[in-house]
Amino acid sequence: MILWLFVAAFGASALGGVLGMASGIFIVPILTLLFGVDIQVAIGASIVSVIACSCGSAAPFLKGRLINIRLAIVLETATTLGAVTGVFLIGIASTSFLYGLFAAILAISAKQMLARRREVIDTSAPNAKSWGAVLRLHSSFPDHVLDRDVPYQVGRVPLGLSLMYGAGLISALLGIGSGVLKIPAMDTALRLPIKVSSATSNFMIGVTAAASAGAYFVRGDIDIGIAGPVALGSVVGALLGARLLMGLPADKLRIFFVIVLALLAIQMLVSALGVQIPGGSV
Amino acid sequence: MKSRTDNFKSREQIIAALLWYGTWLASAVIAAGMTLDTLQPFEGQLNLGFSGYDIMKAGVALFILLPVARVALMLAIFLRERDYAHTAISALVLAIIAAGIVIGL
Repeated sequence: MILWLFVAAFGASALGGVLGMASGIFIVPILTLLFGVDIQVAIGASIVSVIACSCGSAAPFLKGRLINIRLAIVLETATTLGAVTGVFLIGIASTSFLYGLFAAILAISAKQMLARRREVIDTSAPNAKSWGAVLRLHSSFPDHVLDRDVPYQVGRVPLGLSLMYGAGLISALLGIGSGVLKIPAMDTALRLPIKVSSATSNFMIGVTAAASAGAYFVRGDIDIGIAGPVALGSVVGALLGARLLMGLPADKLRIFFVIVLALLAIQMLVSALGVQIPGGSV
Repeated sequence: MKSRTDNFKSREQIIAALLWYGTWLASAVIAAGMTLDTLQPFEGQLNLGFSGYDIMKAGVALFILLPVARVALMLAIFLRERDYAHTAISALVLAIIAAGIVIGL
């Protein structure tokens, strides 16, 4: 069992890493569908693997200067607050409601990705009164194709913060990194280049997940025998995935995102309907 | 401010080092726990005072603490750079995480 948990987490995480997303989104369905684990136990194990993936894959992104750490810490106030709210709410929400919510969020994310395929990098004169300017969030990143530093601005921070609160809430409720929610939020609200938004989102996921995982851990809601091997498999998989991601072009990455989001939305909707049938669930 | 680019590079490398070595430490602890757990089918029979399960639990706890340590490190880095706005923001994130754990208890 322990070895198979490790192998499954490894595979899921390598795939997630290629797409720049936390593998939690795959871990929960794998644990519930393949291993017959309780959804609550799956969420507890998944949230630890989300932390492991985020921490394990951050170093190359940091060294590649793709992570905007000032922006990350500002947005983490909202994601952690959302996660703490999620810790409050998880006892109230029903399982099928959560699956349905999950499907809806995936579908919205896929639609957002389709609607905006090209990066819009704001090159207008910076507005000195905007949050991005006051908090000194504007930055640049090295583009290896153009072989120069590409400057970018951070727009609409208040909208970004409210979306991040929602992402933190969903992360705590579903045991996922909410990368699928954070990355569109960062593309459409903050208007970041996709590599910066992927890397910064991945960086923030660890802290967001730690806020809820810490609470679940002290509560005794994390099954160590499942969370341990899953976290270990995830981190090894994430390391391989992150290496592949560094060379991928933004356009292809985005198309991959849309397909994966759509497939997961269908799968989650099926699960939402499935758990309503008495005795019908695995 | 004067050596902004130098600071920029070094602080990213310090954070990268914490996360990289922290990940390896936590992973190694979990792997050790898994190994002990596999070699010891009858849990708790070995008289070490701890089981593979306990070691795995320590590894999981390390993983949960790692991002928190990262925020604490960023707080220290911002403080050293006299960037008080982001120091305060880092402190707020730590306070929110602590509040969540208190709620968990």
